[in-house]
Amino acid sequence: METIKNALDFSDFPRIDLIVAGLVLLFLLTFPVFPLSSFAMATMIQFMIFSIYGMGWNTIGGYGGQVDLGKAQYVGIGAYTTAVMLIRWDIPFWVSMPVGVCLAVGWSFIIGYPLFRLKGHYFAIATIATSLVLKDLFEVWDFVGAARGLEISPIIYQPPDFLRLIFKEDIYYYYVLLGFFLLGILYINWFRKSRLGFQLRCIKDNEDAARSLGINVHLAKVKTYAIATAFVSVMGSFHACYIKNIEPEDTMSLSISILIALMAMLGGAGSLWGPIIGAGILIPLKSYLKEWLGASAGLVGIDTIIYAIIIMLVSAFEPKGIWGIVEKIRRRKRK
Amino acid sequence: MALLEVHKVTKDFGGLRANSDISFIMEKGELMGLIGPNGAGKTTLFNCISGLHSLTSGRIVLDGEDISDLKAHEVARRGLARTFQVYTASGDLSVEENVMVGCFMHNRSRARAKAKADEILSYLKLKDLSDYLVSELPVAAQKRVTMATALGTDPKLLLLDEVAAGLNPSEIEEILASIKHIHYELGVTVMLIEHVMELVMKISDRIIVLDSGQKIADGNPEEIARDPAVIKAYLGERYVKEHGGELG
Repeated sequence: METIKNALDFSDFPRIDLIVAGLVLLFLLTFPVFPLSSFAMATMIQFMIFSIYGMGWNTIGGYGGQVDLGKAQYVGIGAYTTAVMLIRWDIPFWVSMPVGVCLAVGWSFIIGYPLFRLKGHYFAIATIATSLVLKDLFEVWDFVGAARGLEISPIIYQPPDFLRLIFKEDIYYYYVLLGFFLLGILYINWFRKSRLGFQLRCIKDNEDAARSLGINVHLAKVKTYAIATAFVSVMGSFHACYIKNIEPEDTMSLSISILIALMAMLGGAGSLWGPIIGAGILIPLKSYLKEWLGASAGLVGIDTIIYAIIIMLVSAFEPKGIWGIVEKIRRRKRK
Repeated sequence: MALLEVHKVTKDFGGLRANSDISFIMEKGELMGLIGPNGAGKTTLFNCISGLHSLTSGRIVLDGEDISDLKAHEVARRGLARTFQVYTASGDLSVEENVMVGCFMHNRSRARAKAKADEILSYLKLKDLSDYLVSELPVAAQKRVTMATALGTDPKLLLLDEVAAGLNPSEIEEILASIKHIHYELGVTVMLIEHVMELVMKISDRIIVLDSGQKIADGNPEEIARDPAVIKAYLGERYVKEHGGELG
């Protein structure tokens, strides 16, 4: 009971935040009504997928300060579980998605347990390495289609198929995703105020102090890493049904991992709105950069250059991202 | 009844012996000072007791239970809390949130942790500051916040590591009042490391002196002030010879 109450309680935010959040919600609810291009629709779907990835990353990376650059491996586990189960055994999304979460979380315990003996940059590098190893394994594993990947053929199903999440029009995906998006926000709103959330913020500042306050630092990190993993895996499963064609290169590559981390880092690591703000800026930027500069002007790879510049600017000037700037201004006004 | 038994504790860092064969017993309800020149091994001893360092040899018993091999968070759960010399508190968290981290140790529910934190804050007269970020406060207030956070864990024994260092006289009075509150009214047994002699001498029932990793004296403040070994440790051999062992 108290959990639900805490998840729904946004009263510690200033009113202006809630008004803006309400307007954004209204926009998201009504967005498909406007006659817009399918390109805009696809961009909105990517925006929500990456917001949710970012929210997950934000638990361990933002609140916990453990920079994790290997989230793509869990996108892969979620996506492949759903695709394999659907193609081979015709098991619907709503069953395969929780199975994918279990597999991903299980894997996160196996690698998280030793990985969290490392700290700082060493931890970040190790997450990259594990993710790349898993990607390489998937590229040679015939059961999951090796480097060719898997394709979910929409022809054998009758869309709209709500059980298997196979639709012809993006609008169905859009509203299912919006549901996940809102649930994600409620969960993080609960998490940031929970015992684990507080413990994590303490760990981020000083691990010895956290230990002397009775916090099992290693266990708290492993648990939170699993939470982040669950978020990412759910979206991986969704991604498989939405894209319908998955291969190791585009679900598990390093650039996906970096992009996931970047959402929260740019928007504001360790804040509820951060990943959403980050995705709101980066995803349209990414789509349009690819569309205009990439395809039209022939500047392939320009998006990667821009991400690199953003990372450097954020870490040099405001490590807490855009939301950090907002909070700074507010605090100055209060004084 | 003995609350803390430290039995022949030795801690080596490579070739350096930071604590050598230290033994003492602390009774429930005592307020004990731990003093000694820089590098005497006071903080190392705190780290050994609170489980952040593993012992090279020796045994530590808290309230009848051997805690020598427990990890720091397990020791904390058995009723030992501490503050740190350099570390103050989580700068990004408000004062109230910081204290809640401590209160969360025994309360899973947020509402109960918050209620407990509020109680402690008003007790230590920090209530007015609850919404400030710790990084916005002066050092003296930050130190009181770390004490409040430690209290949130409901300790039997509280170790305070130089809470008065770098404070001005009126701030020291405030800290002194807080320590007295915690000790006499909440009944918490307290051990404190302190360089500010007025403070230690004024409030301790008993003082232990370390020098170069060894316990050189143990007694009440008057005895300690007259102890030749202590005077030698603080003022040097030549001074003692010239002045015949009397404090100048």
